Amino acid sequence: MKNIIVKANAGALTNFEVLDLLNSRGASKDTTRANDKVSGSEYKVYDYLMETAASTQTRETVTKFFDKCKDFKLAKAEILNVINLRPTSDVELTPIIEKPDEREIDIDGILALVQELLPPLPSLEAPKENEQEETEDGEQEETDDAEKEETEDAEQS
Amino acid sequence: MFCLSELEDTVRVSPDLLNLPLEDAIKLVLQNLFLDKVLSIGLCVSIYDIRSVEGGSVLPGDVAAITYKVCFRIVVFRPFVGEVIAAKFKESDSNGLRCDLTLGFFEDIYVPAPFIPRPNRCEPDPYNRNQMRWVWIYKGVEYIIDDSCQINFRVENISYPHVPFERAEDAKPFAPMVVTGTLDDDGLGLVSWWEGSSEINLEEDDDNT
Repeated sequence: MKNIIVKANAGALTNFEVLDLLNSRGASKDTTRANDKVSGSEYKVYDYLMETAASTQTRETVTKFFDKCKDFKLAKAEILNVINLRPTSDVELTPIIEKPDEREIDIDGILALVQELLPPLPSLEAPKENEQEETEDGEQEETDDAEKEETEDAEQS
Repeated sequence: MFCLSELEDTVRVSPDLLNLPLEDAIKLVLQNLFLDKVLSIGLCVSIYDIRSVEGGSVLPGDVAAITYKVCFRIVVFRPFVGEVIAAKFKESDSNGLRCDLTLGFFEDIYVPAPFIPRPNRCEPDPYNRNQMRWVWIYKGVEYIIDDSCQINFRVENISYPHVPFERAEDAKPFAPMVVTGTLDDDGLGLVSWWEGSSEINLEEDDDNT
């Protein structure tokens, strides 16, 4: 079947936008996965995205962040990277931003904006001494444990 | 790592789908055709929307379906060069590493040996006889590359190898889309390598101010 690619790149999507699309179709963390509007392979993408920063973002925060980033002279691809990864330290920003000194980019300002506008990655009520130490992996593990605890409680009651 | 692509295609809707609203029937056919398939533009993840439907004719000789010309948009997984992506370690051998994006929605991510931070060494994995383990040596400390936590890598290249005509018996399953990544930069590699360093940076700044 011949198909014609009208526009190979009709617009980049942040992880959040893809997650939002899957959510609007009815994807959820429900393990029965009985929803037939979302296919198995779409669920795999959904599971991946739920463990990243995208799962705590909202359309409002992402749009606001995007607008404010324009003041920082970042390239669109760099802003996309920052929204998807939610870096918490300047060492995490290093692989994303090219030649920050030459371009006079305010790294601390960007980090402060991230802290202010983008919610942290999925985490529990477990108190954290230092917010800067939060890593995606630590939070992923805790979320998994919390879910296990919740299901165990539900079964017992 | 995702983007929208607009396509135009002729779609055959078979009679058993005709009790559904037209848009749903077309969407179902499109999903079967495109979902999870690699096109020249990337891995198709989801049908975004249908922009226009034309036609609705029955072609001579093909009475088992109604043919429409559909213009639609799909969500494609196509990371751009320079993008930093979070993935999980899968396996490693003497050529390099292989990572996968959690729960296997995309597994063909390779980090060849030249892109592993130097100095490094490769040794047989004590836990797994068939694999080799890579260790990064930095300032006297050894950092093992394993599945203990998430790995951030930067995309160096995406390639779409052609389907091979003949393959060796034990060759790896054919991958229509291969992403090559690098771990060789500050902030890349296992997330646990950089956790402490942000604290050190802060302390240095405080001392300076």
